[in-house]
Amino acid sequence: MTWLRSTGWRHLIGLATLVFALFPILFVISASLNPSGTLVGSNSLFSQLTLANYRNLLDDPMHPYAKWFLNTMVIGGLTAVGTVFLGACAAYAFSRFRFRGRRTGLLTLLLVQMFPQLLAYVAIFLLLLSLKDVFPVLGLGSRLGLVMVYLGGALGVNTYLMYGFFNTVPREIDESAKIDGASHAQIFFGIILRLVAPILAVIGLLSFVATINEFVIASVVLVDPDKQTLAVGMYQFVSQQFSEHWGVFAAGAFLGAVPVVLLFQFLQRYIVGGLTAGAVKG
Amino acid sequence: MASVTFDRATRIYPGSEHPAVDKLDLQIQDGEFLVLVGPSGCGKSTSLRMLAGLEECSEGRILIGDRDVTRLQPKDRDIAMVFQNYALYPHMSVAENMAFALKIAGVAKDERDKRVRDAAKLLDLEPYLDRKPKALSGGQRQRVAMGRAIVREPRVFLMDEPLSNLDAKLRVSTRTQIASLQRRLGITTVYVTHDQVEAMTMGDRVAVLKDGVLQQCDTPRHLYDRPNNVFVAGFIGSPAMNIRDFPLTQNGAMVGDTEIPLHREAVAMAGREGNTVTVGFRPEDVDLAGDGQPGVPVEVDVIEELGSDAFLYGHLPGANPLEDSPIIARIDPRSTIKRGDTVHLAIRPHHVHAFSPTSGERLPDA
Repeated sequence: MTWLRSTGWRHLIGLATLVFALFPILFVISASLNPSGTLVGSNSLFSQLTLANYRNLLDDPMHPYAKWFLNTMVIGGLTAVGTVFLGACAAYAFSRFRFRGRRTGLLTLLLVQMFPQLLAYVAIFLLLLSLKDVFPVLGLGSRLGLVMVYLGGALGVNTYLMYGFFNTVPREIDESAKIDGASHAQIFFGIILRLVAPILAVIGLLSFVATINEFVIASVVLVDPDKQTLAVGMYQFVSQQFSEHWGVFAAGAFLGAVPVVLLFQFLQRYIVGGLTAGAVKG
Repeated sequence: MASVTFDRATRIYPGSEHPAVDKLDLQIQDGEFLVLVGPSGCGKSTSLRMLAGLEECSEGRILIGDRDVTRLQPKDRDIAMVFQNYALYPHMSVAENMAFALKIAGVAKDERDKRVRDAAKLLDLEPYLDRKPKALSGGQRQRVAMGRAIVREPRVFLMDEPLSNLDAKLRVSTRTQIASLQRRLGITTVYVTHDQVEAMTMGDRVAVLKDGVLQQCDTPRHLYDRPNNVFVAGFIGSPAMNIRDFPLTQNGAMVGDTEIPLHREAVAMAGREGNTVTVGFRPEDVDLAGDGQPGVPVEVDVIEELGSDAFLYGHLPGANPLEDSPIIARIDPRSTIKRGDTVHLAIRPHHVHAFSPTSGERLPDA
């Protein structure tokens, strides 16, 4: 009884949380293997098993899932890498250099984040529409254009996050490297970026996941089915009334989740503390 | 190896009107060990950082050898610096840390390894070459920071309080090691510290700074025996020199009921400014007066036992011991003087320093 009161209840809460987290995943897997194609039909988990939904998903010429998947990975990857690089450059400058407008710049970044992104959708649409006439590569319907929109949108909060982390790296390391003869680029890439790896991994992961989940801007910008992302494309499976393919949708969702999990597993090793331990006497 | 010259070097931080370093004029000889010392905020670190190129010169020039380096980047000045907190690269091993500067300079790998090994041997770091900084103790990290400077074979070493993060015992032994290492390598060294004991023991010459202004630059002996002004007199020496104003007499100063003779010119100069004179005497220049001999009466507040020495802290009769700074005297550690006793102190007349009560400058004594 004492055990239950002191430690046991923690295990019970843990179990409840586990069920809460795992059940939706199990349900989606079960639905993706259920031939009925409705969600209600898969209420009894794993009652019927077939790969028909996966087959349908991959050979539907009207809904090119493989292309969406590839688009999503490319757009998500580019956005993640771009966000990390741009954010790190900006954060380094804000953290290490003293220039006119530095404080104002930091405040502006924070302030701009306060406005809901929803306000910008119309503006982004109109901007890309006119950009298409001048510079088609970045205009409406272009995947690269979408990446650019994401990069701009994500820069603010990420720069601020990174700025805080960069400040924890002692300035003396920069100065020491400067005296050792390293250029700004050598200091940035060779030393500082190595020491802020945890925040780079976190920002990269967050921005990758956010890009994969993003629906509104992607559906506004990407019109051509061949260029769409998973979120936009798969919505069509369940958006038409009376022909909702929940089974196919579940299969697509399950496959789409795989790379995110893999990326997290890969980046997890960088999300550790104490990288700057030993640099300065603590 | 080279000389270093500060030529009216001034640093004014943006947004501040008072210069952090004010027209610093300093000549450092080739191979010399010069210590910059002063209380915190006196501009000693700023001076060093100006020499390193980490801080801009607002006015004046800095020369290394015959070369004007005022506008040069740190990497072009051929200097090496040891930071107070070491600033090692945490993701590199000890060997990589030491070789970093050579690698950037494009030195061949064999040569690099050789120089790192030589430096490691000199500093007893050979067993640790493959370790990361975080697996080292504070003293070892400090030696890595030294090694990183040594492998460069620079023209000037800059050290910014490199010992202040070590524990007291290690600090004393490292102090001697650094000083002897510097003499062996013969590289011009500028060393910053706030600890006057470090300054006295290590430096060929010591420069005392206060509020960004150079007060005196001299050998430790000279600095101790003939301080230029009240500030230097009080800063150098531990326990500090007894300094206070006493009434001026015909031939000297009236300390308690004893007259201390001063040089004629000193009396004349102080007399032109008022009727007091600032007198300083070191705790060791005081003897206990025997019975019947003239002496300054002092009421004992505390006896500080150091083993080899004992220091007596007391006050003049009638003075408030909590308000006035105490009178300190070195006494025989085996003496039987107790708290509350009244002793008579005889001040050795030839070891008295006289300063102007208004400007604090030293008055002539010879």
